[in-house]
Amino acid sequence: MADQANFERDAMEYAQQLYSAALRMTRNPADAEDVVQETYLKAYRAYNTYQEGTNLKAWLYRILTNTYINRYRKQQRRPAEVELGELQDLYLFRRLGEASGAERSTEESVLESMVDTDIKAALESLPERFRMPVLLADVEGFSYKEIAEIVDVPIGTVMSRLHRGRKALQKKLWSLAEQRGLTGPTQ
Amino acid sequence: MKAECDHAVDYLYQYIDEELTWSRRLRIRWHLKRCGHCVDAFDFETRLKERMRECGKDVPPQELFDRIRALIDQEATDTQES
Repeated sequence: MADQANFERDAMEYAQQLYSAALRMTRNPADAEDVVQETYLKAYRAYNTYQEGTNLKAWLYRILTNTYINRYRKQQRRPAEVELGELQDLYLFRRLGEASGAERSTEESVLESMVDTDIKAALESLPERFRMPVLLADVEGFSYKEIAEIVDVPIGTVMSRLHRGRKALQKKLWSLAEQRGLTGPTQ
Repeated sequence: MKAECDHAVDYLYQYIDEELTWSRRLRIRWHLKRCGHCVDAFDFETRLKERMRECGKDVPPQELFDRIRALIDQEATDTQES
């Protein structure tokens, strides 16, 4: 049982990260602020149910995720869930390898030259149920078990969505890299 | 080698995410010592994961922090009064 009096001291340090995650979920700064604000208020009210010593960050992300879903699922009335189709493993690595021929280490140099906005755009382009696990694993560094608890699905589902989400993300990154002309032969 | 490469790629994400048991991890590491192509692929995926971290660095306006603190203080006062 945690003491509400300690809430600000314990929980405020995660506000920046939560905002950034909310931004990837809502794709909009004003909505992200709303979601984070609502998350903190709910978390404060429920703080006496939080077990001290357990993972506070994961607890806050669970509230954040639920807040986002409750708010926006209703509004959007659930956009048709897009199927990602079958994608090859190592999608981006292989495409870049084919594009650069025998040139070694070009794959990583393309990765370095990608701008953060492209990576964010690629992540935000994923359908929600794939975006969440990728966001929570890659950006936030949660374990599979923690993600399963945050999004409330079995761990096997987390793993398969994460796997497929990452491949779809790579496909998007590839098309963005192509648009930027990053994939042509090196001089 | 092909079968070991397929095995490594199957477990690539669990390896990078540090979600493998010790013995599975060892088998992958053994393969990586012998296969340059898989090393390149694993390095690439690891680097991509590192770059993804940078998607978590957006900074909200200071006002958001102030507003949250004010809301919580207000909430605390309200509950004390009631």
